[in-house]
Amino acid sequence: MKTQITASQPVSVYADATKIAGKGKLIIQLRGVDKHFGAFQALTNINMSVGEREVVVVIGPSGSGKSTLIRCINRLERHDKGSITVDGIELSDDIKATQNVRRETGMVFQSFNLFPHLSVIDNITLAPRNVRNLSKAEAEATAMELLERVQIPEQARKYPGQLSGGQQQRVAIARALAMKPKVMLFDEPTSALDPEMIKEVLDTMKDLASEGMTMICVTHEMGFAREVADRVVFMADGEIVEVGTPEHFFENPTEDRTKLFLSQIL
Amino acid sequence: MFDKRRELSFKDSWINRNLFNTWYNVVLTFLIIIGLSFLITNLISWLLAADFAIVRKNLTLFLVGGFPRDQLWRLWVAGHSMLCCFGIASGVLWRSAQAEAQAKGFAAEQHSWLDLLRRFWVLVALLIFFLSFTRGVLPYLLLVSALGVFVVSRELARRVEPTVTHRGLFLAGLVGLSSFVVLAGTSGLGALSVGGLIGTWTLFEVRHTLESTHQNATAVSRFAGLGAGVVVWQTMIAIGFDGYGWDTWTGFHLNLFVTVIGISSGFPIGLCLALGRSSKMPIIKTICVVFIEFCRGVPLITLLFFAAWMMPLLFPRSVVVPDLVTRCMIVLIAFSAAYIAEIVRGGLQSVPVGQVEAAQAAGLSQIKIQRLIVLPQALRAVIPAMVGQFISLFKDTTLLSILKILEMLHGSRVSNSQTEFLGLGLSGVTLTFVAVAFWVVAYTMSKESRRLETRLGVGINQNLGQRL
Repeated sequence: MKTQITASQPVSVYADATKIAGKGKLIIQLRGVDKHFGAFQALTNINMSVGEREVVVVIGPSGSGKSTLIRCINRLERHDKGSITVDGIELSDDIKATQNVRRETGMVFQSFNLFPHLSVIDNITLAPRNVRNLSKAEAEATAMELLERVQIPEQARKYPGQLSGGQQQRVAIARALAMKPKVMLFDEPTSALDPEMIKEVLDTMKDLASEGMTMICVTHEMGFAREVADRVVFMADGEIVEVGTPEHFFENPTEDRTKLFLSQIL
Repeated sequence: MFDKRRELSFKDSWINRNLFNTWYNVVLTFLIIIGLSFLITNLISWLLAADFAIVRKNLTLFLVGGFPRDQLWRLWVAGHSMLCCFGIASGVLWRSAQAEAQAKGFAAEQHSWLDLLRRFWVLVALLIFFLSFTRGVLPYLLLVSALGVFVVSRELARRVEPTVTHRGLFLAGLVGLSSFVVLAGTSGLGALSVGGLIGTWTLFEVRHTLESTHQNATAVSRFAGLGAGVVVWQTMIAIGFDGYGWDTWTGFHLNLFVTVIGISSGFPIGLCLALGRSSKMPIIKTICVVFIEFCRGVPLITLLFFAAWMMPLLFPRSVVVPDLVTRCMIVLIAFSAAYIAEIVRGGLQSVPVGQVEAAQAAGLSQIKIQRLIVLPQALRAVIPAMVGQFISLFKDTTLLSILKILEMLHGSRVSNSQTEFLGLGLSGVTLTFVAVAFWVVAYTMSKESRRLETRLGVGINQNLGQRL
């Protein structure tokens, strides 16, 4: 970046991600978050807020820190500076607080990360049974409902290795939903999928958004961002460069960096 | 038409394609045929000429060493209850595996004794081979009755409902322990382990019944389990049925026992060491690393000598120093635990980071992540290496012979120094006998491990539906 940024000053007026899209109350708040991997600075002074029932799509070139940002929110990565608050709990080295945040945030990974030694239904019921202490019957009833919702109830007894990529990712979404989270984090959920399977996963995510789930999605699917997002956050080199509604972002980008990125991908 | 096919089959036959396709393969084939035929004819002529009187005379020495000859009934009873234990366990496990397969929509496994025979025929053949050196009908009758016990208990256990599989397994454990009690009497470790098993069983059953109705199910079940365990333990001591502890055990019987103890104690200890080594806590990590590297860096023979002569010095005056066999077992357990720890660590590293992250993201605690996600995958990945370690532990038990413990190998040497066989050069005969016995057990272990691998591979492999 050309200029050194100081304090909690946004890069430009368009990079202010702290104003939520106005529906509910604040659920996630990041203030001045920095993250280093050794000498490499992955995140620089991230300020961002997410309101309840809001869908925020994070886009940007690879290596821009999108995944790191989302992984900081449930503390799969530990941030070095600043503060992250999720549902009123501030993330720190306190394990209890971290566990509590993780219970309330479901995460979907790029590479699914289903447990290969467990059947689909066991994958989904594992966390509810072991974290929320639900009985087997209760957890399985919920799991079947969720599989119904992602439209693969017939695969319940199969193992992840027997499913297609799209089906696996939908199971992963069901697994995250089984904990009844307040926030869903999607880390490039369609990047590892064959083109013909992307749609089924995106449709599931759209349903989820229309049901009012709070979502933060890192994705390269511009169509999805345009259609579903309340706000689009554009990141480059570990910083938030521009924030806006999809209309603003795709039709009227202000920053040169954003224009360059959009010209490269569209 | 007929001629053509014949010509085809001759030209394309496996032999023609693989053994006689080039001139150097022809030469190699003939060299190998000549070598093999020399080897085989010599072996057969040696076998035919060899005098197996030494084995016939000393069969009991080989198998049970110096076990009191008027107490051999204990071994037969123990053998029967061991087979009963295997029968029950394999029966209930078969049933529950079948139920599981049905629930997952695979074809239900057909039960076949032939399949079982195919798996264990070497072992049965070995038993018959042993018996062929005995005189009289009694041993044959006893073998038949022992196998009968196995068949009957397996048949009965196969009818147990899959919902109560745990009861079958507890019962199998109890029957298995009873074989130890018959040999070693009702005092000491036998009583303790039977008490422990019954206590755990009680705990399990009580918690199971109370879970839905009672708030403090766990606390109540722990109390009940502890109570039942202590009562059984004390009762058994009070009964005072005497026996012969393992310090007096010898022969092949000792080799097998030491192996079983080495595996069943070395495995959990190795597991803890592996987890400790990959832990972030510096003190635990250091202790584990030092222990593992010490045990792996020292030859096993050195450790055994340490057990024989140095270990007694390490015990405080007020403590009774355990006997030599126990000390050797401690060393063997430590040695195999260190190796198992390194094998398991390899398995832990093979589990992708994403697995842990997914479990973390779901809010699972560190212990549950290890227990439910990491270990099942890690252990599955290292079955071959692990069984290799078990087999080498089994073979290493012959090293006890250097401490003059009368295990099978040492027994074979002793038999050669008996006056009637002294100087007859019969070591070849006795060593062959020992080798056959060890090979059969090791081969069965490795064959069963391959079967286990295929079975547990279900869910990971893409080509499912075939359960072997």
